[in-house]
Amino acid sequence: MNAEGLDSFREFVDSRSSALLKTAVLLCGGDQHAGEDLLQNALVKAAGKWQRIDEPEAYVRRILYRQQVSRWRLKWRRREVSVAEPPEGGGRFAHSGDTAAAAELRVVMREALAKLTARQRSVLVLRYFEDLPEADVARLLGCSVGTVRSTTHRSLSRLRVLAPELAALGPADAEEQPSRDYSTVEVRP
Amino acid sequence: MNVDELVRDALREQAAEQHPAAAGFADRVLAVRRRRRTRRLAAAALTTAAAVAVGIAVPLLDSGKKDVRPSDVVDQQKTKTHPDQSPPRDLISVGGTTLAAYYSSQTVKKTETTAVSQRTYYLLNPRTGRYERSPKWSWVAVAPGSTTAAVLERDLPASRIGLLDLASGEVKRWVQVDHGVGGLAFSRDGRTLVATTYSENPDLQPIPKKLKGGGEVTDGTTSHRTGFYVVDVASGKARWSQVDAGGGPGSVGMINSRQDFALTDDGGHVWAGNPSGEIGKEFWDLTGRKVSAPAGDKYLEWFVDAGKSPNGRLVAGDFAGEGWKTASWVVDAYTGKKTKVRGQQLLAWVGDNRLIAWDIDKDVKNEFHNRLVLVTVGSNKEVPLSGFRKGNDGAAGRWEPIFAQP
Repeated sequence: MNAEGLDSFREFVDSRSSALLKTAVLLCGGDQHAGEDLLQNALVKAAGKWQRIDEPEAYVRRILYRQQVSRWRLKWRRREVSVAEPPEGGGRFAHSGDTAAAAELRVVMREALAKLTARQRSVLVLRYFEDLPEADVARLLGCSVGTVRSTTHRSLSRLRVLAPELAALGPADAEEQPSRDYSTVEVRP
Repeated sequence: MNVDELVRDALREQAAEQHPAAAGFADRVLAVRRRRRTRRLAAAALTTAAAVAVGIAVPLLDSGKKDVRPSDVVDQQKTKTHPDQSPPRDLISVGGTTLAAYYSSQTVKKTETTAVSQRTYYLLNPRTGRYERSPKWSWVAVAPGSTTAAVLERDLPASRIGLLDLASGEVKRWVQVDHGVGGLAFSRDGRTLVATTYSENPDLQPIPKKLKGGGEVTDGTTSHRTGFYVVDVASGKARWSQVDAGGGPGSVGMINSRQDFALTDDGGHVWAGNPSGEIGKEFWDLTGRKVSAPAGDKYLEWFVDAGKSPNGRLVAGDFAGEGWKTASWVVDAYTGKKTKVRGQQLLAWVGDNRLIAWDIDKDVKNEFHNRLVLVTVGSNKEVPLSGFRKGNDGAAGRWEPIFAQP
């Protein structure tokens, strides 16, 4: 990387690493250290091709998601649920009207999310945190739309098993869809 | 609310709480990349050397002096909660404030008219992250950092103070004392220990007498407090000061039979509660000379374990709730201005604006059915840290926490 590349790399990391770190930590189930490792590795890979990358953020995000899913393939599991910071801290959701019950439910949800497999969690982060449509999630993770749909469905079901406190909640749209897509397909001769 | 909405909220809340990436993150990434490339070059050279079977020096690897720290430098204080455990089996810790030990008490009859309230401690083993029963000790005080504890053996008052390494479970040093010790407390920095001396076991209590017509009556408790030692932990040097019990040893009703001394947060004074005194507490200098309440310490309450916030600006106060709506006061250390915070009883500070407290189950109207929670000054949020305690006060299996600051 030449001097110009180094400058643009530093500028990118300085301006975007906090936002990318949020995603990385969520992908790691709230583990700050693991999230930093994940982001560091993704940025090291991006640095190797820096001057050939057109859209750095999209590129780094794609590496983040795929790396995380490949960790799952290595059967990497967390033995203990640990959160880098206590679930509070005056974030945008710490408004005064927030009831303790709702806050507690989010803590329960966080703990349950941390117990999902990396693939299940990645799909939920992409769908519900990044608000990406299923087709984009599929493209990013390198799988079919049907797989994204079924993984979302299974992940939400798994959350209910992990946290019985969620039983009172209504089903998500994704849960009402079958885990496999049995809709008719037009077959052309 | 649907489950997907909750997923969305939980993820966004978690993201909002993240620390920003550390300054210099880009340089760290570049340093890691340089090191990996150097390793690859070295490995390639080694392969070539093996293939041709001649002695070729492997290029010297980067010494690692560049900034290639592991990326866990942002926050090393993880939160560990176990809302399903009561008493806890596994480590409970928030923001570095750690449940370092807990104990349960049982009353052991000594004579026809007296009994001793005896504690059994469960100490955190920092290697396993679990609490282990430690029946040898009658008193345990844990130093900040949760690696060292000061202990007293059974049968108080004790003639020596042990400094226990919590990881190995071994007493690293014994400090012999001439005046029997019944209680211990560390200073905020862990360098000094104040030991309260008693001429009789401070946990000795009269057994209530049954009255013929029903009911019972208890004799007044007596105090046998004699003074305090200030112990320098590093050298083991101890200096004793005589401080009588306010009415002389054996006096009735002036103070509780156990009324231990503690050090103020700046380490400059020793203080203790004085329930029948004018301001409910007394202060001395380290040589036992009585002084007036130091500025910033006058709102301390001896029965509130949390004490002052680490920055010294706030003092944990008394119960401020009404009926089944629990709350506690947090008091400005200098102006006395009071603010309500959630929680039934404030136990330990977590940084300067959060506290660990007991709080009751809002659905069960029983003041003893409580669990450890995390509360925040200026926020209505409460996060459970342990399971609920069972039984009423004094019931078997009831546990009391001992927290250590980071």
